[in-house]
Amino acid sequence: MTRTFSPRTVVQALEESARSTTTGFRFIDEESTSEPFFSHAGIERASARMGGALQALGLKKGDRVALILPDNADFVFAFLGALRGGIIPVPIYPPTGLGKLSGYLENTLHIVAKSGARVLVTSNEIRRILGTVQQKAPDLEKVADIADLKTMREELKPVKVGLDDVCFLQFTSGSTSKPKGVTLTHQNLAANVHAIMDLGLGVRDSIDSGVSWLPLYHDMGLIGFVMSPLYHVNSVTFLPPLLFLKRPARWLETLSRQKGTVSFGPNFAYALCVKRIKDSDIEGLDLSSWRVAGCGAEPIRAENLRAFGEKFAKIGFDPKAFISCYGMAESTLAISFSTLGRGVVTDIVKGESLWGSGQAEETSEGSEGAAPIVNCGPAFEGHDAKAFAADDTESSSPLPERVAGELRIRGPSVMAGYWGESELTREAFAGGWLKTGDIGYIAGGDVHICGRSKEVIIVNGRNYYPQDLEWEAGSVEGVRKGNVIAFGTMKPNYDRERVIIALETAVADGPKREALKGEVRRAVQQGIGLTVDDVVPVDVGVLPKTSSGKLQRAKTRELYELGELLDRSSARKVDTVDAVKEVVKSQLGYFRHAILGGVTGRKE
Amino acid sequence: MSWTRENVRSEVREILKPHAQSGVELTEASHLVADLGIDSLGVMEVVADLEDKFKLRIPDEALREVDTVADVARAIEIRLKNEGRLAE
Repeated sequence: MTRTFSPRTVVQALEESARSTTTGFRFIDEESTSEPFFSHAGIERASARMGGALQALGLKKGDRVALILPDNADFVFAFLGALRGGIIPVPIYPPTGLGKLSGYLENTLHIVAKSGARVLVTSNEIRRILGTVQQKAPDLEKVADIADLKTMREELKPVKVGLDDVCFLQFTSGSTSKPKGVTLTHQNLAANVHAIMDLGLGVRDSIDSGVSWLPLYHDMGLIGFVMSPLYHVNSVTFLPPLLFLKRPARWLETLSRQKGTVSFGPNFAYALCVKRIKDSDIEGLDLSSWRVAGCGAEPIRAENLRAFGEKFAKIGFDPKAFISCYGMAESTLAISFSTLGRGVVTDIVKGESLWGSGQAEETSEGSEGAAPIVNCGPAFEGHDAKAFAADDTESSSPLPERVAGELRIRGPSVMAGYWGESELTREAFAGGWLKTGDIGYIAGGDVHICGRSKEVIIVNGRNYYPQDLEWEAGSVEGVRKGNVIAFGTMKPNYDRERVIIALETAVADGPKREALKGEVRRAVQQGIGLTVDDVVPVDVGVLPKTSSGKLQRAKTRELYELGELLDRSSARKVDTVDAVKEVVKSQLGYFRHAILGGVTGRKE
Repeated sequence: MSWTRENVRSEVREILKPHAQSGVELTEASHLVADLGIDSLGVMEVVADLEDKFKLRIPDEALREVDTVADVARAIEIRLKNEGRLAE
């Protein structure tokens, strides 16, 4: 079903889709029973009006506009309106969850300032939460209320938007709380949309229809379900993300009612459905039209998807609809998809040799130490994905098949760089290849991800850096600064990564230590907005260190998973032997964590 | 059905109990995150349970005013009162 690919800007795609009055976007809102529907012709008109309003605020081609809009329809039209005026939108996630987040404000301020946005468009309620953001971002001239913009009736003044123009900035979380702005051009978008829709999904124009609860400030929701469907004139029904988290059955109910054919979610979403949805919630539903169930944005656990397939087979879900996806914002959205119609495919390898020597040796399922690694398919046509040794700074010789290394990618979907960060951009590439930060191998031409070289903790599709958590925890009185280790663990019986903080303290055991645990949780929640699953205070000197004194995250995780962390009293003695082992495993040490699910004979 | 403040409080505790980490004492002052260890997904599940139990809708923005068990009860009471379903 390949067709000739002639790249178009998002604006062109939007304008050309406007000939359709039968397909379009439907917005489900929990507050009301009506589900407003905008045909593609309607999307064209609504976005033109928003574009005109943004121009009336003085925004010109190339200016940045920050968007913090929790309402899906508001966001879509403001975003597309900006594109039509050649204005560069900068989506920022809205504050969610419990309590007031000081970390949220700091992050938001950084993005607004770094992007040089002249205007921030948000709701009246969030404007109050943001407070004095305007005084702290030098380029920000105005914080505009979306309600006011909606009442404006300004004509959109035509602006020439070309393939090489910047389309939008996607800020991704980075270490030490400094998000970086991935700069994507219309050329990037056109290339990636072609890869996703034509090559990956074999999308049928105007026939396939999507259902999405994914947040629109995230690449999977925004590119996958707002921009891609414009190119192929597909209908999409949007649900608010928080509604899905509150009532996951609404996702399946909407797919059934709208006869959706394509929907995506991170691993946790499928696990959440298995855990939360009761049989009575799905009575009478029919998922037989759902032909592509994409899974990506966080490590994929085959057993979670298998459980979903089993649970919902009775309402017509076909496990062969699963595709495993690999991608990152720096590659617009997608890098590779597993082959359509095959379901989740795993490569069964010997765990010990994978994390010991980086060799992905095939073995039989169920054998001692067997580890299932999810197959994410081949890099899209026109793109490359290969594994390299970490010290191959010029990417001169890709590693052979079945040898694990750092995955690097290149091709037309890869970003030009981070906005206003030439140094970070240089560091992101090696000899023309983008360093993904993921560890994996290629087998049969297909990408297999085993872990991450950066010790990122991913919770519900969002990245958190252990250094940030450690810093917050270290600021709590009673915690020995610099002697804190944060890590994620994904034991087989968990459906998502658990966040653990181990810390050294002189506070003696008992109620005071209990109180300290609460303080640490609170500090991390307020600073970063993440709930810590377990805080483990230990005596001074208990946390493992290498000979250089550097704290050992992988080692701590291993001890924690074995249930031995709390029992350690004389750490130093154990560590002499451990240090040697650690050097051997060094970079690949965390494989143990990544594939723990497949390791037999380990204590839970 | 009309609720008393006493009923609301005990019902809120009942709903929160299965979400709290085991071995943690649940009091009015317990912080949902720091003390009970409820994560962001758990919070949304709690909200769904509360909405079903009290037959009302808790808007997402209301979560920003909630830190402790007492805050949860208060958020429910305000809404019940507005609907004339809280016995004073």
